[in-house]
Amino acid sequence: MTEKAVNNLSQAVLRHAAPLMFLVVLAVFSLLSPRFLAGNNFLNILIQSASTAIVATGMTFVLLTAGIDLSVGSVMFVSAAVAGKMVLGGQPLWLACAAILLTGMLSGAFNALCITWLRIVPFIVTLATLYFGRGLGLWLTETRAMNLPESILRIGSARIAGIPFPVLMLGIVVLAAHLVLTRTSFGRQIYAMGNDADAARKAGIRTNRIQFAVYVISGFCAALGGLVSIAQLGAVSPSFGNQREFAAIAAAVLGGVSLFGGRGSVLPGTLLGALLIQTIENGLVIANADPYLYPLVMSAIIFLAVLLDSLRNQQLRRSQRRIIRPSQKPSHG
Amino acid sequence: MYCGGAGNSEITMKPLLECSQIGKSYFGVSVLRGVKLALAAGSVLGLVGENGAGKSTLMNILGGVTQPDAGSMRLDGSEYIPKTPAEATGYGVAFVHQELNLFTNLSIAENLFIPAFPKNKFGFIDRPQMRTKTAELLRAVSLDISPDTLVESLSPGERQLVEIARALGQNAKLIIFDEPTTSLTSRETDRLFALIERLRAQGIAMIYISHVLPDVFRLCDEMIVLRDGEVVGSGRKDEFTTERLITLMVGRRLDQLYPTRDTQPAPETVMQVSDLSQPGVIEGISFELRRGEVLGIAGLMGAGRTELAHILFGLDPCARGSITINGAEISALSTRERIACGLAFLTENRREEGLLMDAAISDNLALTALPQFTSGALIEQPRLTQAVNQMAASVQIRGGGQHRQPVKTLSGGNQQKVVLGKWLLRNPAVLILDEPTRGVDVGARSEIYRIIHQLAATGAGILFISSEIEELIGVCDRLLVMQRGAIAARFERAEFSREQILGAALQSGEKP
Amino acid sequence: MKAFSKQTLNINRLAAPQSAIRNPQSIAAGLCLLWFLASIPFTPGLTSSNNISNIFSNLLPLLIVATGQTIVLITGGIDLSATSVMALTSVMGALVMSGDQGLLGGSAWAVPAGIAAMLVAGALIGWLNGAAITRLGMPPFIVTLTTMMFFSGLAIWLTKSKTIYNLPPAFNAIGKGSLFFIPYALLVTALLVVAAHVLLSRSLAGRWLYACGHNARAAEISGVPVGWTLTLAYVCSGVCAAVAAVLYTGRLETGSPVLGQRLLLDVIGAAVIGGASLFGGRGKIVWTMYGVLFLTLIDNTLNLAGQSHFTMMMVKGGVILLAALLDVLRRRGQ
Repeated sequence: MTEKAVNNLSQAVLRHAAPLMFLVVLAVFSLLSPRFLAGNNFLNILIQSASTAIVATGMTFVLLTAGIDLSVGSVMFVSAAVAGKMVLGGQPLWLACAAILLTGMLSGAFNALCITWLRIVPFIVTLATLYFGRGLGLWLTETRAMNLPESILRIGSARIAGIPFPVLMLGIVVLAAHLVLTRTSFGRQIYAMGNDADAARKAGIRTNRIQFAVYVISGFCAALGGLVSIAQLGAVSPSFGNQREFAAIAAAVLGGVSLFGGRGSVLPGTLLGALLIQTIENGLVIANADPYLYPLVMSAIIFLAVLLDSLRNQQLRRSQRRIIRPSQKPSHG
Repeated sequence: MYCGGAGNSEITMKPLLECSQIGKSYFGVSVLRGVKLALAAGSVLGLVGENGAGKSTLMNILGGVTQPDAGSMRLDGSEYIPKTPAEATGYGVAFVHQELNLFTNLSIAENLFIPAFPKNKFGFIDRPQMRTKTAELLRAVSLDISPDTLVESLSPGERQLVEIARALGQNAKLIIFDEPTTSLTSRETDRLFALIERLRAQGIAMIYISHVLPDVFRLCDEMIVLRDGEVVGSGRKDEFTTERLITLMVGRRLDQLYPTRDTQPAPETVMQVSDLSQPGVIEGISFELRRGEVLGIAGLMGAGRTELAHILFGLDPCARGSITINGAEISALSTRERIACGLAFLTENRREEGLLMDAAISDNLALTALPQFTSGALIEQPRLTQAVNQMAASVQIRGGGQHRQPVKTLSGGNQQKVVLGKWLLRNPAVLILDEPTRGVDVGARSEIYRIIHQLAATGAGILFISSEIEELIGVCDRLLVMQRGAIAARFERAEFSREQILGAALQSGEKP
Repeated sequence: MKAFSKQTLNINRLAAPQSAIRNPQSIAAGLCLLWFLASIPFTPGLTSSNNISNIFSNLLPLLIVATGQTIVLITGGIDLSATSVMALTSVMGALVMSGDQGLLGGSAWAVPAGIAAMLVAGALIGWLNGAAITRLGMPPFIVTLTTMMFFSGLAIWLTKSKTIYNLPPAFNAIGKGSLFFIPYALLVTALLVVAAHVLLSRSLAGRWLYACGHNARAAEISGVPVGWTLTLAYVCSGVCAAVAAVLYTGRLETGSPVLGQRLLLDVIGAAVIGGASLFGGRGKIVWTMYGVLFLTLIDNTLNLAGQSHFTMMMVKGGVILLAALLDVLRRRGQ
């Protein structure tokens, strides 16, 4: 009886690893610094995490199909560079913003074409576009930091109905993604394809279209994340978006998205993962920790989250196996 | 939606499905030639043939996965040329596959409707409607489970019923069953057969593909036999006998599927198992295996036979009891150490656990014996190649000359021979076989039996797990029957009787 | 069944005359040669002995890391932490040996102790990756992603982002010196590459590595010590990265916390161009050598032709895509 209770408890802990860790992190930092719990600090966390969370949302679509998109950081860079060029060349701001999103979608479409039409594995395609995009971006910016006009910073700090622009964007993207994934045929087909691509094809799902769409979505989200980011920074540096792909993957995985496809969610999943990462960073800043320690703490926490997830899967497999055993009394009875 | 008994009155003598002169070839090699078949609504057609006879190609053509090079098909009187699986579904042709094609991470309801979900006025999935319809369909297949249950929590039998419910939901006029019973318990099989009877009464036409000939005889009205891509026999069920079917499938008279044994088990024990127990899995298993003996283990699906094999081989833990091989205790050893002691294990699913599908035949054959062909960490390639070639010849693998081609290009029977050869290279003292002839065609089966007998003749002990009682009776010297994780009965060869063995496997509840 | 064997025989017959394109090795080798020849007219000094030796000194560390990566890719894994291992071991070695701040600075033991520390650290990190993957059942991509972040963070933290100077001349000689005109670096690399080649093609462990890459579960049931084998692959990768760090650090004469940071993608790219499969079971050291040679040639020729960094990145991206595409076409042909 007690053994069973312990077992149930440990399963519950493992199942909700990410939210629990979130709570632990909150508790630890609020003990370390009273400023951490202040209301506007939470808003800060939301604002700071917006860009990565948006990119990670796009990544989630790709990961759900058991693919991967390593090119998001470069896509951010290229699309920001394109927009920067246009703004500095005297084009109107709205046109530049539209160009950012269009560039992102085109990059995504290029990835998608290579994957669906040429049948090259996503890892390699997006590795190649990572190189290509970074090179293209450096060429566009002439390897210099590009300072954008004041007007773009005004967008970043604007509030619409009292909600800061980055948070609004984040909210719209996450909500839309959540609805698409859980309430539309397209969303459920993504899950089906991630579970078994062959079976999906046999069931009449146009897997090529699904695959195409998720990479375009990922490119779009990367570009939008880049837009939010430059609206906050007001400049495009040569290292803009560098290694952002790892941050996005980490956020998704931290939120429980499986790299093997078919498992995970944007809400709460990926959003929680992105917030967790930002909360830790924010907490470390407020607690005056050595900045050099940030990556160490961060990677340790991601490691821990993935460890808990794999322990949960192992336990799940063990408990499922026992059900088919004959002398065991039916466990859901 | 599927409609109740209305179909009955609509049965006409005109065939529902008519294929004529279907031909298909790959890379200039023809796999189907002039195939002709007809099927009336409300009847069941049994399709039998060895693996590689062209059954799957024919089914792929019917299902729109590939297109024929020649011939024509008519469904319900009109031209039927499906270009995609989705198109075939649209025409009312549905499949229930051997490897179930459900999405385990989705709910039953979602699996029934994918890819075309009902939508509400906002364009989102209409969940209430989906749930109601699913509940209706689940009732039709007598499955009393919530539509929101995730498929991953269902048993294989339940999943199969969900597949059939999906076919009904797609208004299927023709349902094709491809080896549907391989992963079912006998109770689930009975339930499936009862359902097939009901569907027949509702006027749905079915094609039933199986290696289990008694099932084919029990269910089908008509039969058709394929061999080397051609129809070699077709007609009403009563025109066939099991012998005739086998002869047609194999193309030669197979007087004896089970070769006679010319050696007897030796008196000395090679493996002794006593009081082996693991809570919730097996209980008090004791037996001894003699040199040169083939000891069968019968039982229903889920009786704990595979689990016992895994425990014997050290893949699963075991709380109590002892296992000895030639007197040495092995129950505390790892799988690797047990292999070194002379244990070998052919698993029930060769794709996932038996073979490196993309690796060459020779690499697969060499895998277990590698340490024996190693001097100072390096492989002695010439000696290894020679041994591998000898083994490939002795188990009669039909494949490329140097055995460099990947195993996945071989037929099921030849793949199984590769697994056998891999273990024979180690000269095992005890070989555990878990369903060695599952999904293997008749010709390769008798060769596998021959190999097993040859191994027994060299003095190895063989533990033979199978769900086919005929096969156990044909091959084994002695039989254990497992039931609910324990040994329920033991039979000597002289007292083998199909009824008693089945009875022991079926006996329910408390042990006597 | 008959139909089947006929079919395969036919394919074999077809394959014989076209085997040139069917081999990933010949794809990479052909690309190398083509690129080299095509570049000669545009790049003055490409064939000068000075430049050839330059190509080699750029190629060697990359080749060493790529060798370790190939071993990991063969098992179906990936090691993203390899270049972080380079950075960390570079810093650790420097912290042991440096005359300014080293633990053993100035001592006669500095060089052997420093090199030993670097190799042990590399092996240890590799073992850590392997243990997390085999014992804790975590996916290699995430494990090595987090160790990549952690150890490059550690390298930066240890040095507060500064490079460490004043390494012993005996150590720098490993990166720059030579024995009868043959650079030490070349000797070390050749030794390591030959050892890796023998490991993969001739040894028991090599067969096990491929078997694990094809199907770990089946390998386990066939008596292959899967946990040990996979861990071995990551340890090899860690040690290779450490050796590369020794050569690189010696050549630069500084311990750098960002050493090799840009190499990661080149490493994976080289292995992939060489035909290693990300799904495991495929890959050879010789193939990877061609991949490495190709990427280095691109760098070198574009450099000589006065092209900038961004052109190189674009060309590399294109080349990786092209190699993958050729591989797809080759498989479709089968």
